[in-house]
Amino acid sequence: MAAHLSYGRVNLNVLREAVRRELREFLDKCAGSKAIVWDEYLTGPFGLIAQYSLLKEHEVEKMFTLKGNRLPAADVKNIIFFVRPRLELMNIIAENVLSEDRRGPTRDFHILFVPRRSLLCEQRLKDLGVLGSFIHREEYSLDLIPFDGDLLSMESEGAFKECYLEGDQTSLYHAAKGLMTLQALYGTIPQIFGKGECARQVANMMIRMKREFTGSQNSIFPVFDNLLLLDRNVDLLTPLATQLTYEGLIDEIYGIQNSYVKLPPEKFAPKKQGDGGKDLPTEAKKLQLNSAEELYAEIRDKNFNAVGSVLSKKAKIISAAFEERHNAKTVGEIKQFVSQLPHMQAARGSLANHTSIAELIKDVTTSEDFFDKLTVEQEFMSGIDTDKVNNYIEDCIAQKHSLIKVLRLVCLQSVCNSGLKQKVLDYYKREILQTYGYEHILTLHNLEKAGLLKPQTGGRNNYPTIRKTLRLWMDDVNEQNPTDISYVYSGYAPLSVRLAQLLSRPGWRSIEEVLRILPGPHFEERQPLPTGLQKKRQPGENRVTLVFFLGGVTFAEIAALRFLSQLEDGGTEYVIATTKLMNGTSWIEALMEKPF
Amino acid sequence: MAPGALLLEAQKEYEKESQKADEYLREIQELGQLTQAVQQCIEAAGHEHQPDMQKSLLRAASFGKCFLDRFPPNSFVHMCQDLRVLNAVRDYHIGIPLTYSQYKQLTIQVLLDRLVLRRLYPLAIQICEYLRLPEVQGVSRILAHWACYKVQQKDVSDEDVARAINQKLGDTPGVSYSDIAARAYGCGRTELAIKLLEYEPRSGEQVPLLLKMKRSKLALSKAIESGDTDLVFTVLLHLKNELNRGDFFMTLRNQPMALSLYRQFCKHQELETLKDLYNQDDNHQELGSFHIRASYAAEERIEGRVAALQTAADAFYKAKNEFAAKATEDQMRLLRLQRRLEDELGGQFLDLSLHDTVTTLILGGHNKRAEQLARDFRIPDKRLWWLKLTALADLEDWEELEKFSKRQEGCALPSPSASFCGDLHETTQQI
Repeated sequence: MAAHLSYGRVNLNVLREAVRRELREFLDKCAGSKAIVWDEYLTGPFGLIAQYSLLKEHEVEKMFTLKGNRLPAADVKNIIFFVRPRLELMNIIAENVLSEDRRGPTRDFHILFVPRRSLLCEQRLKDLGVLGSFIHREEYSLDLIPFDGDLLSMESEGAFKECYLEGDQTSLYHAAKGLMTLQALYGTIPQIFGKGECARQVANMMIRMKREFTGSQNSIFPVFDNLLLLDRNVDLLTPLATQLTYEGLIDEIYGIQNSYVKLPPEKFAPKKQGDGGKDLPTEAKKLQLNSAEELYAEIRDKNFNAVGSVLSKKAKIISAAFEERHNAKTVGEIKQFVSQLPHMQAARGSLANHTSIAELIKDVTTSEDFFDKLTVEQEFMSGIDTDKVNNYIEDCIAQKHSLIKVLRLVCLQSVCNSGLKQKVLDYYKREILQTYGYEHILTLHNLEKAGLLKPQTGGRNNYPTIRKTLRLWMDDVNEQNPTDISYVYSGYAPLSVRLAQLLSRPGWRSIEEVLRILPGPHFEERQPLPTGLQKKRQPGENRVTLVFFLGGVTFAEIAALRFLSQLEDGGTEYVIATTKLMNGTSWIEALMEKPF
Repeated sequence: MAPGALLLEAQKEYEKESQKADEYLREIQELGQLTQAVQQCIEAAGHEHQPDMQKSLLRAASFGKCFLDRFPPNSFVHMCQDLRVLNAVRDYHIGIPLTYSQYKQLTIQVLLDRLVLRRLYPLAIQICEYLRLPEVQGVSRILAHWACYKVQQKDVSDEDVARAINQKLGDTPGVSYSDIAARAYGCGRTELAIKLLEYEPRSGEQVPLLLKMKRSKLALSKAIESGDTDLVFTVLLHLKNELNRGDFFMTLRNQPMALSLYRQFCKHQELETLKDLYNQDDNHQELGSFHIRASYAAEERIEGRVAALQTAADAFYKAKNEFAAKATEDQMRLLRLQRRLEDELGGQFLDLSLHDTVTTLILGGHNKRAEQLARDFRIPDKRLWWLKLTALADLEDWEELEKFSKRQEGCALPSPSASFCGDLHETTQQI
């Protein structure tokens, strides 16, 4: 079960159950024992939908990773390929099928395309002469995967690059399809707002798809009041800055993949007496991070500086709870104490884990270099010295710090200055090429194409206007008891979230001028509802807005939206959807190109 | 006498305002047969062919119902509806003399099919509407049949047929314009089929048919409209086989979205075509990048690599990207130099960055060469200073390091050297 998905305002377990049902139905179509051949990229996201036990219930006996040559031996009736619709994968599948041993027992082949069946791929299979070998060729429309009670992601790594660099809208089409699925389960969303070129396209596709479905009137009472589509390139700044929430920092430092994080094992060594401590575990410690864990749900979105006090408070409560046993006199009291033990032990384990993680993070955040980097970032974001070559960046290059770190900083400076002066830009580029190698010229081209790095045109720096109007920089930030979203970056309020906040109150009309400066059109569409389904809001009832980040979202932005949901007089609760959960590092990495 | 017959009599007397009505009714009620009597009247009405007789029987049933507390209304209502349908088809204009039992045996669906076969579309639709059949089974299906028949009327112009069909069908749910279009195409009316496809909202249905009718360009624009990239790809590959290369490229040129998709395809499948595409668009910037990639991927020999880079540099000049052109020329120079260094000094130099090349030289004790290289490529002082510092620390050449840091004093360079060297010293001593 995935109980944590149903905690939120919108029960996302409904979605999970729907996709699980679809998977079961497909598996049952292929009667008999089965082996699944996986496109490796899919295993992570699938893990959030169905564990091995579900597959096993449906006679899946073996699992392989898709690779060339002959398939491993398996005494099963069906071989099912779970793949993304990509041509290079089709070639591998064809190789598998063709090298199948003719003398052995015949096995049935099936193919399940995730998330969409593709004519192009089927044509390729046909050209390779294997299309006829497949009995079932179906699609499994797993677009939006529920990650948490208020979080959905498509986990499509290349989405930003495809949309903004290569003019490939495939992921936008999938996003629109995913939104249609969502509407089929949770009712038509009456109002759509959007900002950006891609947002416009997704909205257009949704409207078009709705026309294709005329006839099957959706009779579900709408759960979402609004949909806000936001292009990542409307706010290029936020992901570049270092996230300062607990979850954000875990992601920045260790990288969270499909809600799992791998941590260095030393801190998690079981503390035993005697010489047991000598053989430290060498395998990375893998932990799942979601709101199913009570403690994590409480601290994940806090500024890291506020996490320590919560942890120590929790420690006191737990040890006090364990001390209770001395007060338990009667058999009844002891019984009650014992019944609480499992819960207490789980809480203690979770506390121990997070104390260790917090220590690991603290080692990083208290380092001098982290402090220097943060200072530079904050200077840029508050508009100080963005127009000249920065000393710290120069030093980082000279000492050959990681290239991604350098690129993040240079891009941040460029974005905070609406582009760099040609001289400054060329200087940075030259330094990077000389130090890290000429081949990175391709990466630099990509960054320029995406608008992350650019020469200032027209000699005007728009960023100060945007910063002031949207109040992106707050000097008096309270990290312990925040009053504004800017706590997630200790001063900087993420632009994307500010747009969402202003949309709900007082509305975008108040910031028309800034919206015109930001790239892409802004728009509003209404999807009329039949009179029976129109909502009569109870007094004090919050609206529910689905915010869809096209091109990726960071954990800090999610934290900021959750903060807004929890505001007492906020009036709006947010559910977040995205093409990919990301951070500045994974983002830049996806844009890098290595020719060898 | 059956209770039903008595009820009929009672009702007749009632109309005559005779007290006999009450007598008869009492008689039925005393025997407790009123329910049965009503049912008999309803059923009998079904088997009557004369509307007048049907009416009086139903009236009797209705009269009887008044004296019953809970008589389920369904059977009465359904019978009225069924009779209405039956009387309609029994009309001499239509001429289907169906008995009630036959009708029940056949079901309404079959009756509708028969009407459709006789092209009695309006009646069929009226029946559907009257019986409130779900649209997909009822009205839409009949309209689709009608449209399919309509497209076979060769004496009416394409324009008129298409308009007539759209007027009748509108956005009726469940009607597949592509099915109708396929029928039109089957009758050899391609133009009409295209006109009809205009009304098809599902591009997944629309595009394959357009391709089949060899209207690939139209198919392309429809596919693009839908946003379904897979569909666009399908049309593109179709077009590629259908048109000669020049025409194909021209078609792409007018469709930026298709063009960028095709570029993606070429990037993975047909690199040479990609180059042609960039050439056609005079996209020198991308051509430059293309040749850079080629210099790494395709070429083994240094001359080949330099030549590829030269092409790239030329492209960058054409793209007015001075910076990239200069950087590429620098790289050519560096490659040649690295080659020479490998010949003269041995070791690995190729594909190191400039920074790393200089570092390697210092580590190898070739300080002069390192200085020379740094000057030739104008490495800024500050970075050179860091470079040397790191290299000397790696060499654990503390003496030289001390001399070096003293030499640099007075220079306007930041000097975290003390702490940096301290750190290094500590770590190395620990080792």
